[in-house]
Amino acid sequence: MPAGKNTVGAAMPRRQRRAGRGEARAGVWFALPWMIGLSVFTAIPLLLTFFIAHSRFQITGAPKWVGMQNYEAIFADPAFWTSAGNTFMFAAISVPIKLLLALGLALLLNRVTALSGFYRTVFYLPFLMPAVAGSIVFILLLNPSAGPVNLMLSAIGLDPPDWLRDPKAALWTLILLNLWPLGVETLVFLGGLQNIPKDVSEAADLDSPKRWHKLVWITIPLITPMILFNLVIGIIYSFQIFAQALVIGGTTGRPAEATLMYMVVLYRLAFRYFNMGQAAAMAVVLFAVVLLLTLLIFRTARSWVYYEGDSR
Amino acid sequence: MSHKTYAARPSLSRRSFLQSTAAAGAAMALPGAALAQTEGQLLLWLPGGSDLFCKIHTGLLDGFSSAANLGPATTVCGLGADTEFTQALIGSITAGAPPDISMLWDSPVSLGAQGAFMPLDDMMKGSKIPLDTWPAGLLSSCQFKGVTYGLPVTAGVYSMWYNEEMFEAKGIPSDRASFPKTWVEMRKLSKEFTVWDGDTLTSAGFMPNRIPETMAIWSALNGGMLFDEANLKYTLDSEPNVEMMSFFLEWLDEEYKGDINLIDRSGNFREGYPDGATGVGPAFREGRQAGLISGSWLMGDIYADPVPTFTRWNLAPNPVGPSGTTAVSGTWPNWFVIPVGSKNPQAAFDYLSYLAIEGSVEWYQQIPDVPTNSQVILKAPTALVEKRGQAFADDLTAFLGTQAAIVTPMWNSPSQSFGNDQMARAMEKIFTHAAPVKDALAEAQTAAQAELERVLAG
Repeated sequence: MPAGKNTVGAAMPRRQRRAGRGEARAGVWFALPWMIGLSVFTAIPLLLTFFIAHSRFQITGAPKWVGMQNYEAIFADPAFWTSAGNTFMFAAISVPIKLLLALGLALLLNRVTALSGFYRTVFYLPFLMPAVAGSIVFILLLNPSAGPVNLMLSAIGLDPPDWLRDPKAALWTLILLNLWPLGVETLVFLGGLQNIPKDVSEAADLDSPKRWHKLVWITIPLITPMILFNLVIGIIYSFQIFAQALVIGGTTGRPAEATLMYMVVLYRLAFRYFNMGQAAAMAVVLFAVVLLLTLLIFRTARSWVYYEGDSR
Repeated sequence: MSHKTYAARPSLSRRSFLQSTAAAGAAMALPGAALAQTEGQLLLWLPGGSDLFCKIHTGLLDGFSSAANLGPATTVCGLGADTEFTQALIGSITAGAPPDISMLWDSPVSLGAQGAFMPLDDMMKGSKIPLDTWPAGLLSSCQFKGVTYGLPVTAGVYSMWYNEEMFEAKGIPSDRASFPKTWVEMRKLSKEFTVWDGDTLTSAGFMPNRIPETMAIWSALNGGMLFDEANLKYTLDSEPNVEMMSFFLEWLDEEYKGDINLIDRSGNFREGYPDGATGVGPAFREGRQAGLISGSWLMGDIYADPVPTFTRWNLAPNPVGPSGTTAVSGTWPNWFVIPVGSKNPQAAFDYLSYLAIEGSVEWYQQIPDVPTNSQVILKAPTALVEKRGQAFADDLTAFLGTQAAIVTPMWNSPSQSFGNDQMARAMEKIFTHAAPVKDALAEAQTAAQAELERVLAG
């Protein structure tokens, strides 16, 4: 028996031990509502998803275990591969562009001294708009015949695209729509930029008068933790794109399945075709893919993310 | 010292905190209780719809409950259309607290076959609304393997709407009897109205059909079907359907430059309502489209915004395709079901009996969804009488009655939504020249049949 432990226990007054137990019980009671909520609304559904993914379940009856059949069925479904391809494409294009734009905006905001609070609020506001409302606004703006965007493009002599009906343009429209709310990423970058020590920044100014030198060799390395954070969150979010895709392309991914995203196929399997088993299998596959990607990013992060005080 | 700190009495005791948490939780649960049913009191759920729609149904249910001494009834309106409503309904059924009665805007067959709705056959025997008082084609939209899971109490009846004034301006007879009887005649007539200004369609005649929900009607008009209920088989790529889509594609190429995007850029030529997303007004009501297929519900809305630029319009039977022999109609019913778990199933069925006969007459007078039970004696809608006179309103009501009697079976597949989506996908591929007609339909057929078999396997 470790002597120290025994000594501490023996030294603690009985009243204090009793009070400690009482506090522990109170802590459990206080945490209980949250623990119940987490169990009922997150943990149990998560576990049930794994179970339902291996069952034939039509919502109203009891689930029947079918092993890997649901996975075989979704892998044989062309819509699965179309939507997975579209979603990968969407994530691969939109995440880097969004990070670059947010970083650029944060660099600009970092230089603003007057009305900085106002600008931060303005750039954050689009994030607060519900995705469905934002999508409808974009549909109106990009209307091929009466939308202001195409009217302006026509006025300056350009041939405007049919943003939402041309299969080649529709995915880009969705990407554009996703780039609009940049507020969160920008604020995260801005926080990082404002934490760069002044002496480091001034030393960099003395070393080289070229601003891009400072950006590449000082600023970006010092905000790599923010880049990592935004990258991981951006990828997770991109793979779950749903509301905008549903509003623009419906459950069939109009036009010509160009906007058919993974989550839309999952949703229609569950709530349009009432095939909960296959929908749950799709959710498990998505979970696995996003988990693998996240782990991969964290593994590579060791070589490119700089933490202050880190030995490397 | 630390002991004293730990033992300090908080300003809000744990007990009172937990009590207030419980009280807040109970208060939050109260609105949920309003959506749950009570024994002896009827609870009706409606999907989306206008305020008038909700008011009519609330009044009908209250009146029935009062006359039958059932206590105060509750009508819950606007729980969301389409998938959202289905989600809410399924949730309530699986939670064991469904409404006593629910209206559906999607076929009850899929969910009925999965055991979500009560079979009505036994209750219908000896009731005021036995099976033989319903048009067979319509009732099949509620039946699966001989079991009836719902009632198509009223229905929007599909027929050809046309602008009489546009016809007369071209010197074309505008009476119903002179309306084209075949697709070939309709296509020929359509050219008379179609005008292009460069790549902008300024005026159109009729359009190749692009509404997936109505494809079962067009298929039947060409002697085909999309779903063979007797043999539980999809027939999307059958000869009549290949011929139908080829006909539409040739029509699109010949009259509309082979480009549906050009049509859509020029206006809303798809339906008689403003576009749901863009708000673009319907070309038909703008006097830029001679005619289109639409449901009878348009009669209730045609004088709303945007007000038509013309006064006189009429309805005609749907023309017959090259391989078709007889004119048929189709419907989009307002289905009613009694969910499994209803605490008042018999009272709910009695209400459906009342609604199907007496209630639907009042309903039709205010919103022209056509009552479908053969015992109903229709009276013309009030608004239509005011706008077009008693004679026209009576004539139209009689016409819709005849059309309701010749509806083709539709909405009858246990995998209806999936089949519908496959057809929509095939149509999009065909009309954008992304795939040949045969290939697109064959692909849709394979997918639809596979899903059907999965559903049938249980």
